[in-house]
Amino acid sequence: MTMIKIRNLYKSFGHLEVLKGLDLDVDEGEVVVIIGASGSGKSTLLRCINFLEESDSGEIWVEEKLVHHTGSDINAVRQEVGMVFQHFNLFPHMTVLENVIEGPVQVKKVPRKKAVIQAHGLLEKVGLSDKARSYPSSLSGGQKQRVAIARALAMEPKVMLFDEPTSALDPELVGEVLLVMEELAKEGMTMIVVTHEMWFAREAADRVIFMDEGVFLESGTPDKIFTEPEEERTKEFLSKILASPNT
Amino acid sequence: MDFSKILTFVPYFLPAAWMTLKITTMGILIGLMIGFPMAFGRLSKRRFLSLPSKGYIALIRGTPLLLQLFVVYYGLVRLVALDPLPSAALALGVHNGAYIAEIIRGAIQSINRGQMEAARSLGMTHMQAMSRVIIPQALLRALPPLGNQFIIALKDSSLASTVTVRELVLTSRQLASSNFMMMEMLAIAAVFYLILTGLLTLLVNHLEVKMSVSRA
Repeated sequence: MTMIKIRNLYKSFGHLEVLKGLDLDVDEGEVVVIIGASGSGKSTLLRCINFLEESDSGEIWVEEKLVHHTGSDINAVRQEVGMVFQHFNLFPHMTVLENVIEGPVQVKKVPRKKAVIQAHGLLEKVGLSDKARSYPSSLSGGQKQRVAIARALAMEPKVMLFDEPTSALDPELVGEVLLVMEELAKEGMTMIVVTHEMWFAREAADRVIFMDEGVFLESGTPDKIFTEPEEERTKEFLSKILASPNT
Repeated sequence: MDFSKILTFVPYFLPAAWMTLKITTMGILIGLMIGFPMAFGRLSKRRFLSLPSKGYIALIRGTPLLLQLFVVYYGLVRLVALDPLPSAALALGVHNGAYIAEIIRGAIQSINRGQMEAARSLGMTHMQAMSRVIIPQALLRALPPLGNQFIIALKDSSLASTVTVRELVLTSRQLASSNFMMMEMLAIAAVFYLILTGLLTLLVNHLEVKMSVSRA
């Protein structure tokens, strides 16, 4: 089944055209990693899929249902599409546990008790069982991002979007977040990941897309993109990224 | 100067202090009731909500409280003849509503955009995101400036003396006119204000600690 289908997606900010007619199909269980220089439109694409940005034109299907730009449609779609942000965006006035149960209890009206049991399971999965009662301010960046992943998973989404989930982390904390994501990918979660972590792309992606100036310039298996890229821009980008000491 | 003689006048100030407290409390409560909806109106994208808010805030902030008080007490006489106390409380409330609206608006806008996005990305409605995520954080941030505004309101309640409300200032002047100890009576009033503002500061600080206890 096609989980996400995008046709002819356009988005401009003022005079700046950021997305120039994108088409994308993501199958159920597929892990798509989008790479590209900053400003190429990767994050905007993810934000359009979750309707945090309103696209100018084009169509987005989620689970083969066309999403209209109405409040009810969007709120319903967002329950199916989990999002993990670069800056975590945990709710600082709630404990870790409260962060995780907030969505199910408020949006899905899951009984609190049931949500708590589920949340403990999710926290165990991301390796943070002992932090349930802590507040986000006492966590490291890596821990915060793992809580954010648990919070998104608590809604039992069909698709997970990751918007540069490790870009704000200290290098030594990147691994713990990527491991959780890799685990998730293995379990068959449909994922679209914007990242600069080529290691993750290689290990977990079914498909890598190189995005450049608002278009998908090249896409293929990680093997193909990393070892024999066809486009000059892709080669250029990869040589820069792979030469940097962080990867 | 006979200190013990001055002290004999202190009891006369107790009902006056109570009156000051009453005007202030009523003024703040009315101010909060006006301030919150006005803050949301001001933040609204719909012009029929934001324009009245902006107009109200501009009008109130652009004119003196004393004038506003006279408008309520003398100006509205043909419409409704309000007693001095309700007039003072209403004027103080309408006045503070504008400042409280601006404080609340600022606090809401100061919350990182990512908080709203995270809440919405879970499927929450705008209302849910506001009430569960944005406002609790904004209130904590608004508390110090609100406390400041409450102290200003307490002191501004002295203007009620001009419409014959027997609060601290009017009481001190009336006593002085019969005992000719103007400086002493004003000093007693000052001490009462200091005690009241001190207590209010303690209360706000206590609230602040209690509300932020969860966060490092």
